[in-house]
Amino acid sequence: MQRNRAQRFFKAVWPRALAIGILLGIWQLFVMFGFSSPGGYALPGPADTWSEIVFLTRTGVLLPALLDTLERAAIGYAVALLFGTIVGLAVARIPVLRAGVGSLLAGLQSLPSVVWVPFGVIFLSLGGNVEFAVYFVVLMGAFPSIAMGIMHAYDNIPPLTFSLARSMGATGPRYYRHFIFSASLPGYVAGMKQAWAFSWRSLMAAELIIGSVASGGLGPILDDGRSLGDMPEMLAAMVAILVVGIAVNDIIFAPMERGLLRRRGLVPAA
Amino acid sequence: MNLALARRPAIVSVEPDEAFVTLQGVTKVFGHGKTSFTALQDVSLEVARGEFLCILGASGCGKSTLLSMIAGLDKPTEGTIDIAHGRPAVMFQDPGLLPWLTVRRNVELPMRIHKVGSDERDKTVSRLLAMVGLTDFAESRPHQLSGGMRQRCALARALAQDSQLLLMDEPFAALDAITRDQLHDDLNRIWQETGRTVIFVTHNVREAVRLGDKVLLMTPRPGRVAQKWDVEIPRPRELDSFEVSGLAQEITARLRAGASGNATQ
Repeated sequence: MQRNRAQRFFKAVWPRALAIGILLGIWQLFVMFGFSSPGGYALPGPADTWSEIVFLTRTGVLLPALLDTLERAAIGYAVALLFGTIVGLAVARIPVLRAGVGSLLAGLQSLPSVVWVPFGVIFLSLGGNVEFAVYFVVLMGAFPSIAMGIMHAYDNIPPLTFSLARSMGATGPRYYRHFIFSASLPGYVAGMKQAWAFSWRSLMAAELIIGSVASGGLGPILDDGRSLGDMPEMLAAMVAILVVGIAVNDIIFAPMERGLLRRRGLVPAA
Repeated sequence: MNLALARRPAIVSVEPDEAFVTLQGVTKVFGHGKTSFTALQDVSLEVARGEFLCILGASGCGKSTLLSMIAGLDKPTEGTIDIAHGRPAVMFQDPGLLPWLTVRRNVELPMRIHKVGSDERDKTVSRLLAMVGLTDFAESRPHQLSGGMRQRCALARALAQDSQLLLMDEPFAALDAITRDQLHDDLNRIWQETGRTVIFVTHNVREAVRLGDKVLLMTPRPGRVAQKWDVEIPRPRELDSFEVSGLAQEITARLRAGASGNATQ
């Protein structure tokens, strides 16, 4: 059993390790061939970037910034989840809303959420506090995916499920609990997963543009690296942002979705 | 010589002629104006309590439409449908098991919806799973079952609904012949044990003869009742027995004659 587990872990990890290895190799190649910017900045290699990450961690810069950013992501995502769920359910169930808001949602989803930054800064930065503006940008970036996820999940419920519910006499809350919510769950989780990607993107855009060293977060470190010409710092921030985005998906959303689909027989058992 | 009735255990002590389901002049028209289409015309029938009625017909004769109206999933354009009591349980060609629930949870779903207490629920589920032979698969998920087992599970779920009327819409049509034969035996046994009233829709003549007390033949465009047979072959019946084949041939001949002579019942 124990050995089985180790084997399974190894099996899951090696393709990813190989991919990262290849990526680092290409990066190193660019460095070895002396790739540099027109302005004369040399590209730091993986090793320099790594030691910068270690340095930023040791000096107490990286971790607090990471926590600031994660807190914003969590709050912004939670608000988007709540709002998107309500909107999605309403649009799925009420024909007038669907006709009016359905296509608008698709449009909102394709609208880069950066577009909301100036609006947020002007209307929602209360007394120079940009937090609300950041949450607003994350909300606008993420909620359409949640709402669209619910809408599509509801549309894809097999007609037989409705017949079954009716023939069993399920009405009201029990109709929703036993049939509608359960049947929509995979689509909802797929929407949640996509919404995480969107909210992480939106958050980075917002932090990069309106964040400051005072407001904290990973975005300002990235911006700081750019403005000071500190290439290792800039790349360290980029790596941290990438790793967080992947980690949240791999640790929370991917297993959630996989477990759900496996229980329903929609993917082969591992 | 009604051997079938004589062999029924005396679970339900009512006069056999008491009408449990009554359809009177049921007509169903889909669409309006020029594009309208009459799926069923003036269908009247009575099903006695505890009776096993098979409705037989080629696809498109409106037999599924008829069943879904009896199930209350659709309304007749004209005519009335009366059911002695309760909401009928329905089984479809697709087992319609909920993939996120185990076999046990699927079977107990109707009881959960109607707020049956957990003690009674557990007892009923164990009894029903034993009845359909799925006791060992109670914790399996639907996708882990074979097609036949899925239909057994759907049957147990329909029985869990505690309705005296069971409607079946070609439930075994998608199964292989061997599995279907086993399920015929099981359904026959379970029907005798539970005393349910069954309306069973099929396009398979032998299946209808093997299972039904009565077989009702429908002809298409518009769907109407062509003829009715009382099946007085003793149970349990064999699919390839002389009697079943004989009556099946007679019905098939009538089926081939098509709409040439209507309403000779």
